[in-house]
Amino acid sequence: MRRAADRLWRGSAARTAVASRARAWHSLAPAATDLPVLLPAATRLARNAAKARRGGGPPLRLTPAHGVVLLAVFAIACGVAQAQAGAGQPSVLATLWKWLPVLLRGFVFNLAISAMAMSTGTLAGLVLGYAQISQVKAVRGVAAFVTHFFRNAPWLVLLFYCMFLLPFQVRVFGMTIPIPDWTKATFGLALPVMANVAEIVRGAVQSIPTAQWESAASLAFNRRQTMWMIILPQCIKRMLPPWMNLYAILTMSTVLTSIVGVAEIMTLTGRALSAENRPGLLLPFYAFVLVLFFLYCYPIARWTLRLEAKYAVDR
Amino acid sequence: MDAIWHWFRVLYDTTGINLPIFYDAFDRRRFVNGLWMTLALSVISIIASVAIGVVGAWLQGSRLRMTRRVVNGYIQFFRNTPPLVQIYFFYFGIGSLLSTTGPTGHPVPLVSNVAWAIISLSFFAGAFNVEIFRAGVEAVPKTTIEAAESLGFSRLRTYLLIVLPLAFRISLPALNNNLVNLVKTTTLAYAIAVPELLYVTSQIWSDNLNVPEMMNVLLLVYFVLVGALVLAMDRWERAIRVPGFGA
Amino acid sequence: MIKFSNIVVAGAALALLGATAAHADTLADIKSKGTLVVGTKADYRPFGYLDPSGKIIGFEPDLAADLAKRLGVKLELVAVVASNRIQFLQQGKIDLMIATASDTPDRRKIIDFAEPNYYGSGTNVMALKSAHLKSWADLKGKKVCLIQGSFYNKELQEKYGIEGVAFPGTAEALAALKNGNCVGFAYDDTAIIGQLQTPEWSAYEMPLDSILFQPWGIGVKQGETALRDFVGKATIDWHKTGEIIKLEKKWGIKPTKWAEEMHDKYK
Repeated sequence: MRRAADRLWRGSAARTAVASRARAWHSLAPAATDLPVLLPAATRLARNAAKARRGGGPPLRLTPAHGVVLLAVFAIACGVAQAQAGAGQPSVLATLWKWLPVLLRGFVFNLAISAMAMSTGTLAGLVLGYAQISQVKAVRGVAAFVTHFFRNAPWLVLLFYCMFLLPFQVRVFGMTIPIPDWTKATFGLALPVMANVAEIVRGAVQSIPTAQWESAASLAFNRRQTMWMIILPQCIKRMLPPWMNLYAILTMSTVLTSIVGVAEIMTLTGRALSAENRPGLLLPFYAFVLVLFFLYCYPIARWTLRLEAKYAVDR
Repeated sequence: MDAIWHWFRVLYDTTGINLPIFYDAFDRRRFVNGLWMTLALSVISIIASVAIGVVGAWLQGSRLRMTRRVVNGYIQFFRNTPPLVQIYFFYFGIGSLLSTTGPTGHPVPLVSNVAWAIISLSFFAGAFNVEIFRAGVEAVPKTTIEAAESLGFSRLRTYLLIVLPLAFRISLPALNNNLVNLVKTTTLAYAIAVPELLYVTSQIWSDNLNVPEMMNVLLLVYFVLVGALVLAMDRWERAIRVPGFGA
Repeated sequence: MIKFSNIVVAGAALALLGATAAHADTLADIKSKGTLVVGTKADYRPFGYLDPSGKIIGFEPDLAADLAKRLGVKLELVAVVASNRIQFLQQGKIDLMIATASDTPDRRKIIDFAEPNYYGSGTNVMALKSAHLKSWADLKGKKVCLIQGSFYNKELQEKYGIEGVAFPGTAEALAALKNGNCVGFAYDDTAIIGQLQTPEWSAYEMPLDSILFQPWGIGVKQGETALRDFVGKATIDWHKTGEIIKLEKKWGIKPTKWAEEMHDKYK
């Protein structure tokens, strides 16, 4: 019974009218027509593009099949390396097992960096996103500039910048606070996260139907009350899937910190390879790194898909 | 011209702001070459990835299940692994397998590191492009294709002359995101010693020990480069947007 | 609400803080802190590399441990690479730099080196035996693997005309050499000798004469005279007692003539 009602609603003209009015109010694009020029796939594509633009990247879709493929790649890499290994050298798997504690510690460090960068970036991004929808034009302009600046800069360049130019310790109120390397790398990664979160916030707020704003106005809410009590709570649901997608992209980007010298898994793998002095081990070790990342990103990707389905909101 | 370079040397002597990319001919040449390399990597990878996207979208509509599976596998692998590790895999992993023995008896790789960077980046961006073009191709109405058939167009000519132009106009917003991302990702070629902008800048600051100045120059150059691309793409997008279809 | 002007001011302040802070006595600081922070390599066997438990061991960590013992403080090792070791020292992140750094006049403009030098090496190239390299002129126009940040990179490219392919770490450079992405790998001759002793590299050799012999220096921040003199005295002691030669034997480094000469000089 509910399904039939849903289908009725989905095909009804009333819904199109509401949606198109909301779009027209908030965007500069003209209202959608119902001329049979283009199929709904076009709308879906445009929406995905806008979502991707907000979410910092296209959505990750991992399935168990990928895990199987990765394990197969890892096994093949080990096999090839084993075949290339000289006599009298320990097997590839034994070497990997020997270095496992060091590598796992490095991986945990990657995850810690991603968690910290995400939380810092999210907090800053919320503030920046709020500034982007401010009613003061100057604030809006500056926030837009900052967002575009950090979205356009390559992540690696921002990392280099923060690593080299942030001081290694600050003196605050007579106390000396050391700023270790990983903190600087986290800050460097938090900057693009901040810009992407700001875009997510802006997009989510703009997707709330006009009716909400109008109802709030008719109930004499001022702007601050409208934002905090009506709009933002609704936005949280819409922001979750692109935010989680951004987190997955960020986790995979933490390997960039190896280039600037942070002792995370790629650096430690490189050092282990130097200590072992067998270039033939490169392939199995890096395949192992891929497997680790997959094991972490896969549950997140599945969870994101579930959240998307659960909180699917039509614009 | 020399007067301008001299001014930068004076700047160094008086204020200590060291910008050898202006007053030192060797560093100047290196920096410009690095900039050219970044531009070349970006342009070639963009073209190649768009081509891969077009071909991939065509193959995804194939009737053979194997073809569809292979294309899908390619997409999932390149979308779900860090591009840095992809580059390492191509250059150190597959590169070690693809070599012939040279005249002196030592292995000669068949593919240079610049070529591997282009290949890796094109495949990375191409994976996203396939999905984008596929959705764009799907968006072209069946009636249009039937009309083309009734006019005697073969399947290939329909695809090339009718479907692709429309699909391209529809896909452009999504494509823009991807291409801007690609230009930013060219910095990863640093890890395999491709002399692009980040690499030459790091060499210059290692040689001259002027890290802050070079860092700022690097950030500025990328800001201008990517910003210009984003602006141009936005304008193009707005100009060829198909009416009656808003985001 | 974030104000852009605040961001600019904060950013400028942070950038200025990045400049070296005025701090003239690290030696006293070390004694009061109770820890000596030393930067060493962690990917350059046998001078500094990781053991499976994650600790940094090698020739230079041993020297650092000796210095810490003389001061009666704890030792903390920080892993550095060629491209960031001088920055770390300048920023004050490490008190001392014992990281296979060559003592060159260019570097002396920025940091101080303890005297006398503790070790030395020349630059040489590891290449395939079948490449039949006879002289440095043979390398002109050829691809040679380098490590980012090494002092000889510029000279090799400018004077000897090689086409440098610089990698961030030794593992990548060695892998590239193995794959044939470069004709040879330009590196410290002591390290190359160490590599050539392993069966993995039996098809390679070091055919050319070492050039650019540079003694290595222990780096201190500019102006730290107390620390520099302390390290200098310790170095003289190492040469006198033959500690350097003992460590060479311990870590399997082929004994260098230079170390013997220094031992004779200070005996």
